[in-house]
Amino acid sequence: MSTDQEISGAEIILQALKDQEVDTIFGYPGGAVLPIYDALFGQNFLKHVLVRQEAGAVHAAEGYARSSGKVGVLLVTSGPGVTNVVTGLTDALMDSIPLVCISGQVPSHLIGTDAFQECDTTGITRPCTKHNYLVKDVSKLSETIHEAFEIARSGRPGPVLIDIPKDVQFAKSNYIKKSEVTFKSHRIKSGSKDINREFIETLVDHIKKSKKPIFYVGGGCLNSGPLASQELMKLVELTNIPITTTLHGLGCYPGEDAKSLGMLGMHGTYEANLAMNQCDLMINVGARFDDRVTGRLDAFSPDSIKFHFDIDQSSINKNVKVDYHTNTDITLSLKAINEYITSNSIQFDLNQYSDWWNSIEEWRGKDCLHYEQSDDTIKPQHAITRLYELTNTKDTFITTEVGQHQMWAAQYYKFDKPNRWLTSGGLGTMGFGMPAAIGAQMANPGALVVDIAGEASFLMNIQEIATAVQYKLPIKIFILNNEYMGMVRQWQELLHGSRYSESYVDALPDFKKLAESFNAVGVRAKNLSELDDAINEMISVDRPVIADIWVDKKENCFPMIPSGAAHNEMLLSKYDKEKPENQEKGKVLV
Amino acid sequence: MSSSSSVYPTPINAFKQSKRSVLSVIVDNEPGILARIVGLFSGRGYNIEALNVTVVDIENNLSRITIETLGEEKVIRQIIAQLEKLVPVHSATNLAHLKESYEAEICLVKIEFDNEDQDSKILNFADIYRTRTVQKRQHIVVYEISGTSERINKFLDDLNTISGIKVELVRSGPIGLGI
Repeated sequence: MSTDQEISGAEIILQALKDQEVDTIFGYPGGAVLPIYDALFGQNFLKHVLVRQEAGAVHAAEGYARSSGKVGVLLVTSGPGVTNVVTGLTDALMDSIPLVCISGQVPSHLIGTDAFQECDTTGITRPCTKHNYLVKDVSKLSETIHEAFEIARSGRPGPVLIDIPKDVQFAKSNYIKKSEVTFKSHRIKSGSKDINREFIETLVDHIKKSKKPIFYVGGGCLNSGPLASQELMKLVELTNIPITTTLHGLGCYPGEDAKSLGMLGMHGTYEANLAMNQCDLMINVGARFDDRVTGRLDAFSPDSIKFHFDIDQSSINKNVKVDYHTNTDITLSLKAINEYITSNSIQFDLNQYSDWWNSIEEWRGKDCLHYEQSDDTIKPQHAITRLYELTNTKDTFITTEVGQHQMWAAQYYKFDKPNRWLTSGGLGTMGFGMPAAIGAQMANPGALVVDIAGEASFLMNIQEIATAVQYKLPIKIFILNNEYMGMVRQWQELLHGSRYSESYVDALPDFKKLAESFNAVGVRAKNLSELDDAINEMISVDRPVIADIWVDKKENCFPMIPSGAAHNEMLLSKYDKEKPENQEKGKVLV
Repeated sequence: MSSSSSVYPTPINAFKQSKRSVLSVIVDNEPGILARIVGLFSGRGYNIEALNVTVVDIENNLSRITIETLGEEKVIRQIIAQLEKLVPVHSATNLAHLKESYEAEICLVKIEFDNEDQDSKILNFADIYRTRTVQKRQHIVVYEISGTSERINKFLDDLNTISGIKVELVRSGPIGLGI
């Protein structure tokens, strides 16, 4: 029912958000969104979180979305307001996170005149959104917003931007409810709901025949919803097949389980990478053969039959040619496989992979994540291990920044549920973690939310600590402080002759005092004896905390597959030397 | 007078490659749609050799975009998958994948010449290729030729053998339909 009463564009926006069951938005006011902020004033269904810079709003919305499974919403003004969110929109596009970004635009009659705070928002954001709109007619506003939400969350999720000129926010029209809008099917690319029977039967046949199968699970499994994880666990149990996950797949399968080989790829485990290299059957569930996973393409899992589940048709055969694929939603496909197996009483010989498991156990025996913790200096790996051990009884959400600490977090923190691990994988956005923690804490009040950070990344969006304090969000920033851009330093050591060009972060603030100046809590651990106390204090305080953990400055992240190398050319420690010819090839790659 | 071979040097080489594909894309005719498609090609490093965009269904507000591109089969498949992800795109088809498809292009050629020998040679080719004379003056003639891009290329190649004439042209790029 469209109401007979005409309301302003700004009020239509709020009605549409309410209709979409949005309870939280992240934003920053400015000239071109003042009518919307005026409408926000005095309403009580929508909580607005005022960030300190728009980059914070977009990462917070990402954190909110990833940790809740809902669409994250942000509101920014024209010009610099929206150019500040370009990084975050790109981040969300790369990592398939559903967002709706509402941006103000200069009044219609000023568009194209280089007006104050004008920019070509739809032009700038076209390549970094799933879709975007410039709404010039207020009567189209309700439908546009509803379609934007539908596009953001359907199929492979992603960010959608709606640019709304100020005069459209003032103009009046009827509000059209979500239930009244019919979407055109070609515009909502929701993926197939039809089960691909042939794919399923062929897959089960291959599982029965194979000697060395492996599951390779990515973020698509997460985006399909928590039921996908449950079906996956069932299938792994039925078949006894080892499973490795991508960075974003962490949490889709319990990390402590014996069938989990941990993460694969550039900093993946020895057992996961060798298993991928030598498997005869690869079952890819929602992963996209990213270069960080595959290493050198021509040497990537050369002898396997490949099955690929991906809702996004453009992911099929993009980087790696697969033998069979399905674009049906992963939950539906996995459920159908489990049903097919049980209803046909298909029995798998649980011993048929015993040789394969023996090889895997042998690789595991290398203990590739081993590190030596001395009596004094804290090893970053140890800091994360202790953080895990002291927090794993709680429902903990971990966000990260980007760099060594991120990889160590992926290696040493074990997740047993989906949506607890929030990290910037595709784009690798330093500064993602703290605002993402704010978003996750908004979505999950009462949960423990920890941003595992490096000091350099943390400085990129440090202003958002004020947001956490203002909204009493007791997020924990756990800084592995090595005074370097650690991953840059590591690459310089391994590939550029230890010439540490501009990777030392001089003139760091005193993070404890900094926390106090923001009315947050600062804790510090300078050596091993102080580590547990610092972690325990950080967890027990019901306020935002910055924990400054001084770690070994020269520690490197291993295992490592250097760029351009194959999975079986992994470096396990600093004593492994990279082949000089690979070094030269690797240098030119990222 | 400039050498006529310099008038259309680039597309000819491209046409001669075997990896040419013509894609037919049906889209909602809405602001920014062309920029979306062109941006997809430039952002992902694909080539556009020719491009044609026109509204074809006013009632349903649909446009047909025909894109001639170069690339291996794997790349073309990826281009189509990427095109079909765009919200306003209804369908993207590689005409070569259809059982039967028809392709045509239109070209206007303006030829300036000095003497009767040139004139008779031009007339001869114009006759062979059944061009339509749009305009003829004393030292200038404008022809319209349509057909496959290949046929037009051949006509232009033949004109190119006449020395001393000046050729200026415009081409629509190929358009195509499946049957």
